[in-house]
Amino acid sequence: MATSTASSISLSLNDRLVAGIFALLIGAFLVFGAGLANSAVLHDTAHDTRHSYGFPCH
Amino acid sequence: MIVKTLLAAIVAGLIAGVFMTAAQEMRVVPLILHAEEYEGEAPMADQPATQEPAAADHDQHSSLNGTSPLGALVSALSPVTPAYAHEHEGEHEEGGIMFGLSRFSGTLLANLVTGAGFSLLLAGVSLVIGYPITLANGALWGAFGWLAVHLLPAIGLPPELPGFPAAELGDRQVWWSATVLLSAVGLYLLALRPELVAKIVGLALIAAPQIYGAPQPLDISSNVPAVLGAEFAVAALATTLAFWLVLGVVSGFINDRFAKAR
Repeated sequence: MATSTASSISLSLNDRLVAGIFALLIGAFLVFGAGLANSAVLHDTAHDTRHSYGFPCH
Repeated sequence: MIVKTLLAAIVAGLIAGVFMTAAQEMRVVPLILHAEEYEGEAPMADQPATQEPAAADHDQHSSLNGTSPLGALVSALSPVTPAYAHEHEGEHEEGGIMFGLSRFSGTLLANLVTGAGFSLLLAGVSLVIGYPITLANGALWGAFGWLAVHLLPAIGLPPELPGFPAAELGDRQVWWSATVLLSAVGLYLLALRPELVAKIVGLALIAAPQIYGAPQPLDISSNVPAVLGAEFAVAALATTLAFWLVLGVVSGFINDRFAKAR
């Protein structure tokens, strides 16, 4: 199943890994920024979100 | 193709983020606002730092002295929890919502960013381990994401309301991040690897941070009623579960559409 779908969206193994790692890096960056970053402005903007998602918050 | 794959994940995350905002406004935000009334009569996020009430300023200073033994004693005896004091410490260094947004817009923005972030993480895991997210298995993907990011860390660090006592922020963030990572790897080994050894290692990885234990506050007294805390914990876990289910299913739907379009 894995290989059939991967080929149907024409991603080679190498492309897939590159895309996957890229996605992980950007995703981690976004989640860190919204959820964990120790900045007062980010904290206040994301305050309710941080609490709702159960991120450790102040 | 890489860009398309990432865009698909981002779109799914934005949709889930919008959904999450609606769910939060209904179930979670009212509880946060209610808890903030007990937090010291200082509704924080919707007023700039300069308009802090004098009481909050005073608390702030008692927490700043927390490094000296006397200060530690004062803050230990103080009804103001470390969590509360810390929040205002953060606010003092130029807080306020970015771009002058309203509180709701700030939450919406943060939900969109968080949704896209989690969606990219989910897609990234899927790409790296080679199990595509489809419409058929999207809900399962979402459920596992929720287990790894919310339920398992919540065993040690339940979703907390403003004003709840809590240990040092940095310690909790490290424990939380490590638990999410270990739980995700553990769930992968447990659910997707056929080998018996992998399943045992997976269970061990999931259990390890729980056995190690989350950082706990020394003083658990709080002004916030426990009933609110219980309602909030359930509401937070329920809305995040809904968020992950939507995220998984929408991701699968978009992936399927992509696959068919080829």
